[in-house]
Amino acid sequence: MSATLLPEDRPLDAHRASRSRETKRYGFFPGCVAKESCKELFNSTMLLADKLGIELIELTAASCCGASVVNDINRDVARVLNARTYAQAEALGLDDVITICSTCTGHMRAANKELLESEERMDQANAILGKFGAKYNGGVMVRHLLWMLIDDIGLDNLRKMVVRPLNGLKVAPFYGCHIIRPENVNGWESARNPHSLEDVIEALGGEAVDYAGKTRCCGFHVQLEKDGIAPNMVGQNMRMAKDHGAEAVITPCPLCHLALDGYQQDAGARWGRTDLPTFHLPQLVAFALGVPAEKLGLNKHLIDPRTIMVERELIS
Amino acid sequence: MAKIKLDIFRFDEAVDTIPHRDLIEVEVPEATTVLDALETAKAEIDGSISFRRSCRSAICGSCSMNINGVTSLACKTNCKDVVKEDGSIAVDPMPNFQPMKDMVVHMDPFWDKYARLKPYLQPQDKDADHATERRVSPDDMKKLVDVANCIMCATCYALCPVVSVDPAFAGPAAIAYAYRFIEDVRDGKREERIAQISEDYLWLCAHCYACSYCPKHVDPNNRIVDVKRAAIKDRVMLNERGPRHALVVAKTIKQTGMLAETEVILGTVGRFNVVGLLKALAPLAPRMAYRGKTPPPFVKPIPKVNEVRTIFESLEVPVS
Repeated sequence: MSATLLPEDRPLDAHRASRSRETKRYGFFPGCVAKESCKELFNSTMLLADKLGIELIELTAASCCGASVVNDINRDVARVLNARTYAQAEALGLDDVITICSTCTGHMRAANKELLESEERMDQANAILGKFGAKYNGGVMVRHLLWMLIDDIGLDNLRKMVVRPLNGLKVAPFYGCHIIRPENVNGWESARNPHSLEDVIEALGGEAVDYAGKTRCCGFHVQLEKDGIAPNMVGQNMRMAKDHGAEAVITPCPLCHLALDGYQQDAGARWGRTDLPTFHLPQLVAFALGVPAEKLGLNKHLIDPRTIMVERELIS
Repeated sequence: MAKIKLDIFRFDEAVDTIPHRDLIEVEVPEATTVLDALETAKAEIDGSISFRRSCRSAICGSCSMNINGVTSLACKTNCKDVVKEDGSIAVDPMPNFQPMKDMVVHMDPFWDKYARLKPYLQPQDKDADHATERRVSPDDMKKLVDVANCIMCATCYALCPVVSVDPAFAGPAAIAYAYRFIEDVRDGKREERIAQISEDYLWLCAHCYACSYCPKHVDPNNRIVDVKRAAIKDRVMLNERGPRHALVVAKTIKQTGMLAETEVILGTVGRFNVVGLLKALAPLAPRMAYRGKTPPPFVKPIPKVNEVRTIFESLEVPVS
């Protein structure tokens, strides 16, 4: 990787199209929650990678992305923490980094954009990284697993790989704010009318449910600030999903998963019981691709998805 | 010319108990704004259709409404960009407001939140002899121009999911406008202003970026973060859950490289605040424990965590 590349010369995803389709090794940034509360997400991602025939190499010395929260304290720290992660990825030759969390995706991409757009910020980051002998050259691309599935595997291939179609299971997509907004940071698809999750649901043989709540907020980031806010936001969105016929929800974000899976019960008093089981994106993809259901950690969910899976004759 | 079916929300609080919808077909030129289509419907078909409008060019901020479910300025939205396959466009009043008549809503809660800010300059030397002007450097002014573009159309307020569940939240526009005075070098009430907006739930912003759809690119989402940083820098009302949450997240990242979930919960709600912890966690915590989903009590530091500490120290990031 050349150190002389200037930010002006390389738009954020310049190498997306030119990247070889044969590349099967990715840097893998699981994020904190997949290593703590949502281990089932980490495990099902690794099982999915096996099925897809790709290698996810975890960036084990990477730090937290800043989780949108440390921005509230300091304008630079999240950017430099992420620059450190990118420097590690570059040093390992893993400049194609995959995340499995909407918040990680948004904030890592925001940091990368800031670094690539400003020589001053890149110099500031490298001055600090230099204290421990690291350097970021600006060659990393961060994508969510969802985008990688569509970009690199392809929906047609995915459709062909399905061995256990979802029998028209009605699945409501729930994107999670930071994978779509701000649009100038993510920009992979329209923030107002995204359809990547719908495309994946349909490739797996499910039926995507359209409802206004799919791009709204789950309230996770303010669940501790004031009691009752996050459950209300969850209830509002899940009510909409249920009223549009959803039998289950899929989300690419473990933070949304914690909120949707955890708070629906508490939201019942105001919004009526919804009890929609919520799948992590890789869980449902891995299931359709033939990973045994008992390996996917479905028993860890507070609203057990196995009930609807038995009902729809997906498992016995 | 193009035919467009306007699917219009109709309601008059003076006579109606429930709203109904009218489907009105209009013929308009190919490149027509939603506002022009509504004007045509009002002029040619039904004069009773009500909506606010004035400038027709995204300056007055009157014609904010829901267009196919997304809040936007009708004068800035082209019909051909939003028209559905069946040739229709759904027009509704802004959410998060009480409807008055058709697309006209009661704006009072929105204005009340502005009024609470005392949205005028309160200089330190207000009683001094004003023989000399108060000068502001171009750099200081640059920080304020984006927010000065706000046309108070309330699009951000209507889009805000926190406002929709808790009307006590100040909302994006008011916080952005608070920033406009907090960062004005001529203003003398910086601390009072930060305290007031903190009381109006500055820290309840859910980081969802819905307000990044601002039609005037004020991006209230970024200004909200700026006001939070001002609160941290000036150490105003830091004993609330919001700032405690941000600080403890930073602290756990500095210590372990990871966001340590258990420590963040304890540090935000208060380690010894048993009632608070019970209220915040019950009944979720037992349900999670039953499913074996409890976050680990301690997080093992990542390899080379000293590098992370170096970053925090180099940038002098406060963690308490």
